[in-house]
Amino acid sequence: MASIQDIFKIASNDKLCPRFYRMQIDAPSIVKKILPGQFIHIRVSQGLEPFFRRPFSVYRAQKYVEIFYEPVGPGTKLMAKMNKGDTIDVLGPLGQPFALPPKGTKQVVMIAGGIGIAPFLILSDCLKKKKYDLILLYGGRTGGHVYPMKEFKDNGVKVLVATDDGSKGTKGRVIQLFSKVKMDPGTTFLYTCGPNPMMAAVQHFAGEHHLRGQAACEEVMACALGACLGCSIKTKSGYKTVCYDGPVFDLQEVIFH
Amino acid sequence: MVSDQKSRRLETGDWRLATNKMMNLSINIGTVKFANPVTVASGTFGHAEKYYNLEEVKKLGAIVPKTVTLPAQQGNPPVRIVETPSGMLNAIGIENPGADGFIQQKLPGFKKIGVPLIISVLGHTDDQFRQLAEKFNAVDGISALELNLSCPNLGHQVLVAQDPQATFRVVSLVKKIMNIPVIAKLSPDVTDITLTAKAAEEAGADAISLINTFTAMVIDVETRRSKLGNFTGGLSGPAIRPIAVRMVHQVYKTVKIPIIGMGGIMTAQDALQFIIAGATMVAIGTANFINPRAPLEVLNGIKEYMQRKKINDIQELIGTLNSPVIR
Ligand SMILES: Cc1cc2nc3c(=O)[nH]c(=O)nc-3n(C[C@H](O)[C@H](O)[C@H](O)COP(=O)(O)OP(=O)(O)OC[C@H]3O[C@@H](n4cnc5c(N)ncnc54)[C@H](O)[C@@H]3O)c2cc1C
Ligand SMILES: Cc1cc2nc3c(=O)[nH]c(=O)nc-3n(C[C@H](O)[C@H](O)[C@H](O)COP(=O)(O)O)c2cc1C
Ligand code: FES
Repeated sequence: MASIQDIFKIASNDKLCPRFYRMQIDAPSIVKKILPGQFIHIRVSQGLEPFFRRPFSVYRAQKYVEIFYEPVGPGTKLMAKMNKGDTIDVLGPLGQPFALPPKGTKQVVMIAGGIGIAPFLILSDCLKKKKYDLILLYGGRTGGHVYPMKEFKDNGVKVLVATDDGSKGTKGRVIQLFSKVKMDPGTTFLYTCGPNPMMAAVQHFAGEHHLRGQAACEEVMACALGACLGCSIKTKSGYKTVCYDGPVFDLQEVIFH
Repeated sequence: MVSDQKSRRLETGDWRLATNKMMNLSINIGTVKFANPVTVASGTFGHAEKYYNLEEVKKLGAIVPKTVTLPAQQGNPPVRIVETPSGMLNAIGIENPGADGFIQQKLPGFKKIGVPLIISVLGHTDDQFRQLAEKFNAVDGISALELNLSCPNLGHQVLVAQDPQATFRVVSLVKKIMNIPVIAKLSPDVTDITLTAKAAEEAGADAISLINTFTAMVIDVETRRSKLGNFTGGLSGPAIRPIAVRMVHQVYKTVKIPIIGMGGIMTAQDALQFIIAGATMVAIGTANFINPRAPLEVLNGIKEYMQRKKINDIQELIGTLNSPVIR
């Protein structure tokens, strides 16, 4: 009964680097409506295992709806085996999108950990027309989590990389990259997406330096329609659902631990 | 035997019945008539109007919103849900805006849909049940009141629906107040479901809803912690369906009032099991999360089945379980 549920064809499903896959879905109805930061909810199995649908940020929406994903468990591993031409049951677009940077913003810094990079390509697709300085700070666990990010560079995004093992870019966490960018509170706006400890560190840094921003959050989801109240996280104004009130929240609003 | 003969007769001579006459799917609970037997289970169908195709929602027999408590409740700490083989655990903790908040903020939206509403309420004391009944009795546009006597996620030592006397007491006191039908929603976490069902009937309940979820647990072996913030949660989904079907049938044989059957219904075939076992109405719960179209698919599938079996009135199907063939 959701007006946003449909069956679509997979246009491609490729491994872009050792850890990450990109799936293109031929879903013009979603392409037309989707905004950066919103997500889709995919039924990965026709049977009952795994039971829940799986949520994915939209990575790009040009000809196809694209998602960028990391096979980590049964659901994403099933997805990695899907082929061009297969059909897939999708709910979307869902959730609150990123807000545009406030007036006076000159520099936009996107801070991503691992697969948290996913919502930032579509964001930079939209922001590149608006003449901001776009910077991506990306942290991956290993070199296998780093890919060329050519699409970002084509959008004029300056990309800085850190890896935990130092095999690519700066050795260490994404936080280490902060010192490489000059951030003026009056003209900088942050967007972040990644593991909670990383976003907590970004929140802390932003708080200390009076930087404003938004965070795209994750929680396990059942309905993704705001119905079950299962995906709630703690915020300064009480429990909020990630699927309906989020996934994008004000950076200082979320309580990460 | 009887129903076997009847269906054979329908199959051979009387097939025009099914095609010529309008199929009757309507059912009654107390004095209220519902256009068809398919509804949604409390807590699984939401407020997000913008996502629903209202033309489709209008086809349901009734809507049951999430349980409402007297004061607002913020719900349990995350994590609140976890998937399990063919099902899930939830420990939402009845997050809701409270009776007044619901009546002001949510009820108008639900009423606008134009489908009969069954409002689910839960009191932590008899007096709260009384106040909830009074509040909702004073509100227009509600078809029935469902008493959630069986939420496992609120830290109560014993649920109302685990105690036949308490069930009798709560249903009686609410019945004295309400002018609309009262439904008692029972817990499967009992050794004999017929005792609480009988208590609800004797107290004047107009129908019985079952089953609510089973208290259950999933442990993360890496951290040796429960995967839920609330420690335990309620198990729902196809994993519980065979137990739910059995309980519906047991209760059907024990009481005369109608039963709203639920527990793991994903398809029309599943729903038909409940109806044949004795359910007058069926509720789709967890399936809404996996396939939001499930309630409509169930409704259409029931119609197709009736057509195929040449059954013109859903009443001819309810509780028509044949005895097993002994080989
Ligand atoms: C709004 C939103 C957007 C997302 N966008 C993307 C994306 O663009 N690309 C991508 O690869 N993943 C994304 N995820 C996470 C993705 O949904 C999970 O990786 C996926 O559900 C894992 O399913 P699985 O069956 O493969 O693994 P599971 O066995 O279910 O999980 C494997 C591991 O991932 C963790 N996990 C499971 N579900 C989630 C979740 N929802 N959030 C965080 N961790 C989870 C589990 O705790 C476990 O440690 C997003 C999640 C949300 C809520
Ligand atoms: C996330 C979730 C929330 C629920 N909330 C309520 C509730 O508020 N009140 C209630 O009476 N039952 C609630 N239930 C129980 C369902 O209404 C239903 O009785 C149970 O889940 C069995 O049906 P199912 O297997 O089809 O889901 C909830 C179930 C789930 C999964
Ligand atoms: S997943 Fe159901 S409310 Fe968010």
